[in-house]
Amino acid sequence: MVHGVFTFLVGGKAGEGVKKAGSVAAHIFSSMGRQVFQMDDYMSLIRGGHNFSVVSTSLRWITSQYMKANLVVNFDKRSCDTHINDIADGGIIIFNSDEQKDVDGIGIPFSSEAEKYPMKKLMYGVGAVAILSSTIGLSKDQMNQNIKNQYPRGIEDNIKFADSIYDMLKDSCQNKYPLERGDKERPIITGNDAISLGGIAGGLDTYYGYPMTPASSILHFLARQAKNFGLAVVHAESELAVINMAIGSAFTGAKSMVGTSGGGFALMTEGISLAGITETPILCVLSMRPGPATGVPTYTEQADLNFALSAGHGDFLRIVASPGTVEDAYYLTAEMLDLVWKFQTPGILLTEKHLSESSMTIDLDIDNAKWAEPELYTGGEYKRYLDTDDGISPMLFPPSKEIIKWNSYEHDEKGITTESADIIAKMHNKRNKKLNAVIRHLKTQNTVNIIRGEHPTNIFTYGSTYMSVLEALKYGRLNPTLVQPIYLSPLPVWELEEFKNQDNIVVEQSITGQFASLLKEKAGLDIRSVIKRYDGRPFDPIELSIKFKEVLE
Amino acid sequence: MDNLKTNAEITWCTGCGNFGIFTALRNAIPKLEAKGIERNDIVITAGIGCHAKIFDYLNLSGLYGLHGRNSSNAEGMKIANPDLKVITFSGDGNGLGEGLAHTIFAAKRNQDITMILHNNSVYALTTGQYSPLTEKGWKGPSTPGGSFETPFNAISLMLEVGATFIARTFAGEISHLTEILVQAIEHKGFSFIEVLQPAVPYHSWSEYRERVEYLEKEPKTYFEANKVAKEKNKFTIGVFYRTTKPIYHSELYGDHNPVTNRLSRDIRLDKIRKILGSKQ
Repeated sequence: MVHGVFTFLVGGKAGEGVKKAGSVAAHIFSSMGRQVFQMDDYMSLIRGGHNFSVVSTSLRWITSQYMKANLVVNFDKRSCDTHINDIADGGIIIFNSDEQKDVDGIGIPFSSEAEKYPMKKLMYGVGAVAILSSTIGLSKDQMNQNIKNQYPRGIEDNIKFADSIYDMLKDSCQNKYPLERGDKERPIITGNDAISLGGIAGGLDTYYGYPMTPASSILHFLARQAKNFGLAVVHAESELAVINMAIGSAFTGAKSMVGTSGGGFALMTEGISLAGITETPILCVLSMRPGPATGVPTYTEQADLNFALSAGHGDFLRIVASPGTVEDAYYLTAEMLDLVWKFQTPGILLTEKHLSESSMTIDLDIDNAKWAEPELYTGGEYKRYLDTDDGISPMLFPPSKEIIKWNSYEHDEKGITTESADIIAKMHNKRNKKLNAVIRHLKTQNTVNIIRGEHPTNIFTYGSTYMSVLEALKYGRLNPTLVQPIYLSPLPVWELEEFKNQDNIVVEQSITGQFASLLKEKAGLDIRSVIKRYDGRPFDPIELSIKFKEVLE
Repeated sequence: MDNLKTNAEITWCTGCGNFGIFTALRNAIPKLEAKGIERNDIVITAGIGCHAKIFDYLNLSGLYGLHGRNSSNAEGMKIANPDLKVITFSGDGNGLGEGLAHTIFAAKRNQDITMILHNNSVYALTTGQYSPLTEKGWKGPSTPGGSFETPFNAISLMLEVGATFIARTFAGEISHLTEILVQAIEHKGFSFIEVLQPAVPYHSWSEYRERVEYLEKEPKTYFEANKVAKEKNKFTIGVFYRTTKPIYHSELYGDHNPVTNRLSRDIRLDKIRKILGSKQ
């Protein structure tokens, strides 16, 4: 094990419980007080294909999966062929001996063993958990307890199956990687869980969505929790409906959020623009996957940054921010909900499949979430678009004796349509004042995460790539300064001033280097090199640390 | 009709059918108030087009949305605060062209909102192009050789997709229009009112007056309503169908109101603690 990181990789066909086996492994590690990072790699299909789950664990905070695994369990030949080179030095590879023979590893007759039980292939995952349990030195009792908790269907058969696999490994894997216990058990959640919970903590009332990977699990999570939290959660007929319903809800004072990926966001942009002129507080989660168009649905990329920054026609304030970690996703979602209500404008929480769908152990300060509160009307003649010093008009919601008009046409202060040159310019100025107001506010907040290092080079990254970079630096024992802007619009240039004329490297998942361009254009930074990955896969810390060594030396 | 008019300059053409709808709605609201519906609870949304100008003229709260998206705005209002009475104005191009899916789904869900479809059978504000309800042969700027698409029947469509109050009326019959508006707004569920209204640069009042006829009697069954909607000409006015079905927001969350019964921050945080605890 290098640097105390143990990695378990399990692969097979969709429908064989691959992802579940990964989650169970993650729970076993966390129940031992260890920290965990789990990434699921799956294809856009229901049954068959090749899926794998990779779970890395350490006693310290771990922020990436490692693609070199100490234990690789393959349910079929395709998985074995795919992962034959993903084994760490001295690692173990398990193959399905009913499907192939000549592999330098340990053969387990998954097919013929599972054939003895009514659930058949559905049990492969249990077998993987048995192999892991043996390898990390768990007793049979410990293993069976985990299986009972995690596989409540057909417990007896599962335990019988697990025991038989466990026994097969007595002389090969058993206790090969005994894992030390850590300090405490932590919850494991995905980025999308964190976004959902952050929204709830921040005051969310209504959520609208249309299924689109990798944002769908926000819709699913919130739909499950709707009753518990008194939310309205609606799967509408299209992203056009989604954003417009959310805007209608916001009109009544409901804190509303929507979520989608690039294609759905393209449909929403019309509504984002509507939110701009009507000054509707609305938070949109944009979880990126490789584009253009349908692209690669279940993989990761960061190529919608420019799109998010300029989403919607016309001049208006868009607040765009991107969380670096699963914990940050919780805080930032609540914070963004608060910001869009403070400044009455659309906000985009920009993230990626890698954050949305990866799971990790968290140490969350639940109370440290912002609570969205708009500035409210206090009396007198109500004007929805009252021109104030900071451009923020106090809000009022129906039912009310006062008339409240929100208008997609250019309008006067009372919200009545206008074509008057003076009023058009005045309302542009009014809305534009909010940009300065947001900047004044953000100057008092943590907008850029900076980890100071001794090496004179600075590494810039954003979104979940931050986690990949962090792990690569730890792995490679490198210590440049790491800079992760949380806010991308407005970009906190006041925090980036000090990096002008310094040696800067950018890491991002976009072929054209959109983030590097943003830093050059807005912050005036010189960028020496951009490390890019755009094959849909997140960076691997070992590979990335090698690239860092090349550019840092 | 007191206070129901804003000071906005009215820019409909002289003689526009929209004036009839404007008048009837201002007649209907005091009648609704007399039945216990609070004016402050009424909110409106509109799409874009000549129909939508009513948003500026009516002294009621609401949201002037995008072309075709007004019924989604209305659904969002109702879902967030079901105590509100939501009326959405639409044109035939707006609600049956660009916004067709939203109109269909609002009806399918039986959202407790009222849609008033100003049917002038033309894209009036954009200079007279054919609309989803324009008769075949219409020579507009986008179809100089005459439109060759067959219009569909909005009443039949609404019957198919699940609206629970469906009527057609005419901007030239103010008392009929007013009465239908009152019934539609009172109705629990999705109400669809198609209002025939001439856009005078394109159609004359006489074209309508010659063809408008009253439905002899309200159909009693769904089957009969379908038959009547198909058999009668598209100038037949009256209530085609009304029924009672579960309404969307009650199915979604029962008697809850997400805005007025919002859980406090402390309760939310405690529940989050429980969820994270149980995840271990």
